[in-house]
Amino acid sequence: MAGARLEVGVGQRPGILKRLAAMAPVRVFAISGSESAEIETLLQDLELEQEIVLTDSPSSANVLLAMGEFPDSMHEPARRIHDQLTRPRRTLWLRQNVSAPSEAIFPKAIREDAHCDLALLLRKIHRDLLTGVEPSEAPILPDEEPALWRGVGPYGQGGTGMTGGVPYGRPMPETAPDRDGLALDQLSVRVGPFFRPFPSGLTLALKLQGDVIQEAAVAENPFDAQKSNPYFESGDPFIRALSEPVPVVEMEMARARHHLHWLCNALQVHGLGALGLRTRAIARSLRPGVVAPIAQLRRILRYSRSVSLVGAGVGVIQPDKIRDRGLGPVARAAGLREDLRMTDPAYQELGFEPVVHAENDVRSRLWQRLDEAMQSVMLAARSGNATSGGGGRVEGPRGVITLDGNSLSLLLGLLPDLLHGLEWGDAVATVVSLDLDLRDVRSQRVS
Amino acid sequence: MISYGRLLGELATIAVVLLAGVYATVVIDLWAGRMVARAPVRAFRVLTFPIRQTALFLLQQPATTERPDAPLWALAPALLAAIAAASLLVIPFSPQTSAAGIESGIVYFGALMALVMIAVYLNGWSANSVFPMIGGYRFIAEALSYEMPLALVLIGAALPAQSLSVSAIVISQDSLWNVIRQPLGLPIYLAAGLGVAFWGPLALPDAADLAGGTESELSGVQLLLWRTTRIAVLVAVAAMGAAVFLGGWTGPWLPGAVWMTVKTISLIFIMVVSRHLVARVRLERFVVVAWTVLIPLALLDVFAAGAVVLAGSPR
Amino acid sequence: MLTALGGSLIIALVAAGLTLGLRSLGGLLTPPCTTAPERVPFLGGLSPDTHAWSRFHVRYYAMALLFLAFDMEMVFMYPWAVVFLREGMKAMVEMLMFIVILTLGILYAWRERALRWA
Repeated sequence: MAGARLEVGVGQRPGILKRLAAMAPVRVFAISGSESAEIETLLQDLELEQEIVLTDSPSSANVLLAMGEFPDSMHEPARRIHDQLTRPRRTLWLRQNVSAPSEAIFPKAIREDAHCDLALLLRKIHRDLLTGVEPSEAPILPDEEPALWRGVGPYGQGGTGMTGGVPYGRPMPETAPDRDGLALDQLSVRVGPFFRPFPSGLTLALKLQGDVIQEAAVAENPFDAQKSNPYFESGDPFIRALSEPVPVVEMEMARARHHLHWLCNALQVHGLGALGLRTRAIARSLRPGVVAPIAQLRRILRYSRSVSLVGAGVGVIQPDKIRDRGLGPVARAAGLREDLRMTDPAYQELGFEPVVHAENDVRSRLWQRLDEAMQSVMLAARSGNATSGGGGRVEGPRGVITLDGNSLSLLLGLLPDLLHGLEWGDAVATVVSLDLDLRDVRSQRVS
Repeated sequence: MISYGRLLGELATIAVVLLAGVYATVVIDLWAGRMVARAPVRAFRVLTFPIRQTALFLLQQPATTERPDAPLWALAPALLAAIAAASLLVIPFSPQTSAAGIESGIVYFGALMALVMIAVYLNGWSANSVFPMIGGYRFIAEALSYEMPLALVLIGAALPAQSLSVSAIVISQDSLWNVIRQPLGLPIYLAAGLGVAFWGPLALPDAADLAGGTESELSGVQLLLWRTTRIAVLVAVAAMGAAVFLGGWTGPWLPGAVWMTVKTISLIFIMVVSRHLVARVRLERFVVVAWTVLIPLALLDVFAAGAVVLAGSPR
Repeated sequence: MLTALGGSLIIALVAAGLTLGLRSLGGLLTPPCTTAPERVPFLGGLSPDTHAWSRFHVRYYAMALLFLAFDMEMVFMYPWAVVFLREGMKAMVEMLMFIVILTLGILYAWRERALRWA
């Protein structure tokens, strides 16, 4: 029997099935708190590793990769994700400062800093797990049923509602009128904070009818409660440009990379994982003036009509709501000609003209960022030794950054209206197209 | 009529075709993904990937949720496997093994493919979880839209053969393949076929925007079986396409089974590569396009095929 | 000897049986989920407030009805395809009339936005 051979004792050579499984690609579910730029880069590089698979849901992943510091309100969700991983499971926690004191979110996690060889480490963890060298981690959350079965009859039957009683402690969905005036069931769900297509920390409280969003609300930003922010302390050229002149070439290359990494995530959500990886690889090896790989990517997307398949007419914002708020690519994709670089002498000398798209939907936001990435790569090649910045206001990849904040929280506030009445897939595409980052929202407002 | 000995032979053939087809599809998919991503291809790793992945899934713990509908959940991949295996029974891989007595092969195939809808919905519904349920809900709308074009182009192919039997359709393409005689047929068939296997641009029920949709609560052997049987359906769709539009086992020099294999693999290749180049379509857009473009085009295909047949007939 | 459909039923049952058998094998190698938190459905980290099973509004029901009409039409087309060549132009014209009426139905449904629901 195959089952008998699989049970190996200590010191024995593991069975063939275990050795094959140990050689399989590592299935990783990644969750991030507020992490440093270094750790973020590690994750981006990890996707290019062929023997690592980042899964969309934890149920089929063996390794939980936790990155950065998690504010208090994210502890329980993080632990629940940990428990939802399949067995055998193991957690790897990457932190800026491994010895930093913290309440143990993952008591048994392997802790590492940003200087580890992440892919190698993950493969070793996977191998040890599957060959039985390391035991699987036990669940963290207490083994408590949500509530006891309550009902009238001996099997919990009876009472009111669809099946009567309260099966398994959770009530059946409430009945509510839908927009056609029919009284039907309405699912109240909170999605997040570790739903992969959404930015980390974003939780949406939704009322769903089938796949249509009846009502959406944005839950509190968990990063509001955090005191320090590694992102703000990183050497990000746009943050530095607030207080000192920074070479244009550095800023423009950073902008192009930012847009390409965003594009990679968006393509993955839209089912184009392989093209997404190609985008990542382009972003990693980007050099000033070399636009051919991006142009080729653009041609593929245009000929396959992919961009309009996923985004034509989806997520349209009224331009008046975002006019003159410094929302960068989102505003420019709505046909608004706003860009701080237009008034910057360094950029005027380079003949800078902002890229503008008029459709104002998910499609035009995709083209907008792709075109801006190409433009930035070209600008970087022409800019020579030009510098810009130091004026307290700078055009970042997500829009205007000033010393008092940015307007990303405005976009968060627009979400409930934007998502109302959308089909689920369109809603996700809309959230992705806005390029939100909840850590960024907070850091800017606090500083 | 079919003897028990013949049935055993058919079973063995179907098992070999499906397993080899699934293996080939997974390898082609991985290879095509690497090419599109401009990533280096390590041939040995790509070729051994299906085996290693299977081993891992066999060792993972099967997942469950609170109060799932466990029997129906187990039934979903079993139904997909039954659909794929039974549909291969009417697809002739060589002149000798042609169609075990089922004369209305096209009707039979269409009836089986309609059941895919039930399997996917069962898989989504049974988990008692939001994302799989939305995935299942989506797929019903998708399936109701691709069903008609799929059946219509097959009817178009039956017109020159004057028969609903797949063998007769293969023989009717002796002089000219249907892909040339009915140029609209194969593209529409492949588009609908992507829907049947919910693959690539039409992978709506298990999309990334639903955290895997109907797959999101699966792990280990459940996930292995679901993905395998779903690819088996893709293989069956490709084999049917090869028989009906690419002349099946007809071809010079080589034995019929080789021709059929080559043609099936090439259709699998087209369907698999589409996953890496074309984004997932919005559901509503697909429904509108299916009803206002695909179905009228499929009807046009049927009547154009009919006109060609009439013009070519001696009367 | 079996009838052809009996044979196909046996093949379907064997395939389904093998799948079910493999599935239970997976359960033997590793124990199923044991604790309550491991069984919570995935929603991105939070736990659901209610069951997911719900009586939702199938908004594409108009399209589903349209499908029914066309499905019946398709049933007529199968025998039609077999006798098509024998009946000649008569079969062609008759089916064309039938289809044109149905296609007008699609256009009407499309104009009434029956194919969209969000």
